[in-house]
Amino acid sequence: MAITVTIRTNSTGNAEPELKTLEPILKVENVWKLYHAGKVEVPALRGVNFEVLPGESVAVMGPSGCGKSSLLYVIGGLAKASRGKVLVDGNDLVAMSDAERTKLRRHKIGFVFQRFNLLPALSAKGNIAIAQYIHGDGFDPHRFEVVTKMLGLDGRLEHRPSEMSGGEQQRVAIARAIINEPKILLADEPTGNLDTKNSEIVLEMLRRLNKDLGQTIVMITHNPEATTYFDRVVHMRDGVIVDGVPAD
Amino acid sequence: MMGQFVFRNLFHRPLRTLIGVVAIAVEVTLVIVVVGLTSGMLQETAKRIEGIGADIMVQAPSAQIFIVMSGSPMPIKIGEKIHDLKYVQYVSPAFLQFNTSGGVETIWGIDPASFRDVSNGFVFHEGHDLQGRDDMLVDDWQARAKHVKLGDTYTLLNHDWKVVGIVEHGKAGRIFVPITTLQELVGGRDKATIFLVRCTRPEHTPDVIGEIKELLPNYPVRPVKEFMTLMTSTNIPALQTFINSMIALAVSIGLLVIFLSMYTTVLERTRDIGVLKSLGASKFLIIRALLAETTLLCLLGIFTGIGLSYVVRAGFLKLFPTLSILITAGWILRAALIAIVGALIGASYPAWQASRKDAVEALSYD
Repeated sequence: MAITVTIRTNSTGNAEPELKTLEPILKVENVWKLYHAGKVEVPALRGVNFEVLPGESVAVMGPSGCGKSSLLYVIGGLAKASRGKVLVDGNDLVAMSDAERTKLRRHKIGFVFQRFNLLPALSAKGNIAIAQYIHGDGFDPHRFEVVTKMLGLDGRLEHRPSEMSGGEQQRVAIARAIINEPKILLADEPTGNLDTKNSEIVLEMLRRLNKDLGQTIVMITHNPEATTYFDRVVHMRDGVIVDGVPAD
Repeated sequence: MMGQFVFRNLFHRPLRTLIGVVAIAVEVTLVIVVVGLTSGMLQETAKRIEGIGADIMVQAPSAQIFIVMSGSPMPIKIGEKIHDLKYVQYVSPAFLQFNTSGGVETIWGIDPASFRDVSNGFVFHEGHDLQGRDDMLVDDWQARAKHVKLGDTYTLLNHDWKVVGIVEHGKAGRIFVPITTLQELVGGRDKATIFLVRCTRPEHTPDVIGEIKELLPNYPVRPVKEFMTLMTSTNIPALQTFINSMIALAVSIGLLVIFLSMYTTVLERTRDIGVLKSLGASKFLIIRALLAETTLLCLLGIFTGIGLSYVVRAGFLKLFPTLSILITAGWILRAALIAIVGALIGASYPAWQASRKDAVEALSYD
């Protein structure tokens, strides 16, 4: 089902309102993901339909094993859907080769993981800078300064992950994920390994990223309280989305 | 950034890095020292042969050019036939015996009178020439290495010799005894390993060589002046095989250790590889990062190995002062290249495996 959202905006110097159409930045159409356990096919996603608009923040909730992580990996191009269409900024990930998906990920997707997944040999600065290096535009000191200041990482940049708290590590991971201004930020249980205080800090930062910078965010969570920081909540069960799909 | 990443990864696990560096260093040292030892021995032997002062050397048909290990005696009467040739001034037979008991040395059995004619005699530090059947001469290096003094008894081949002279090094061997006594001791009566020939004038050397070849077909006849250029491992098939085997062994050590090291590195860094993939790192970038790390590890090993080679050489020379270990820039470079190629081959499979890892599986790896 194709969805078009229209909103009214005022153009500068024009008294008449105009209609502007927003195309989804992410569109998932009838996506299936099958895993193989020996000769048995195990479906993790069973025809998921799902859309996210630019600048939207969406929380995906559901019980363990319902397919949330699989959905995130498929959306992020880390795994290939078995069937269906995954359109990220108009590019169909299902039709792409592994190398093409890698390139798309490099330029359009940012990931934040539950276990932070920082590179242990590098400092906080190195962990963020390596994303810029992989992106290919080299180190951008201005962007680096803006992002690290916003996430409150000044003074911790020379520390290694083993020398930082969980909350600090997750902020470094967020900085790494957004340093290249991705179209979509995908967060997989980003507060799952944090205490309440650090969880709130991280969630607040994600909200600020969304509200202040217009960063599109899709987050997977178990925590109902975490969803209050997001525009929209989508529930999943048994590999399908059971509500939260925007209406026509 | 890539340099920093590679550098930091290398030192993140210092023990692993140390083991890798030591393995490469051993590989490089093995190549440099083995080649240096053989080249040094060959060159040193060649220098001493040239130092005799003869013009031509004649050997038995099946003899090796590396005469110190040669065991192909000829009838000593051949010397008389050579002496009868035109332009031949002197001929001196020598019987060589390779001895490995109590050290590695070649005993030169010489006829003192004819050897003196051919070589213009020894320069004596102490003592006098061979006179009695049990007399022995040693050169100054051998005397220093074995703490031998004039008048000492020197036991070799289960025989007690009396050191009657200490001579300047650089002429033929390091130990000289009367040829007849040595022939009797090893059962080589009336035999000679080589004939040293002196021509009436040096420019007659090619003519005399031609005549000897006509007289003794199949007998290797060589101008002594060319001996240095001929004494290379490539002219001694067994030695070249030995060197190749040692190089192969050294490369195997380096290759296997690097393979194991990088294999465990890839396993240990599975999650990191998943992270790099999630950031959009290409397969090529992951391979490049691991191979760059291997190269850096290898360079550290090479520099350590070069240093270690000099330490090993110093140790060897302290223990065995008569040894000669020739460390050349050419072989240092070759050893370095061998180490780098071996290490890159060893690392290529783990690197390729890393690049092919499934990102989702890698990210969930514990």
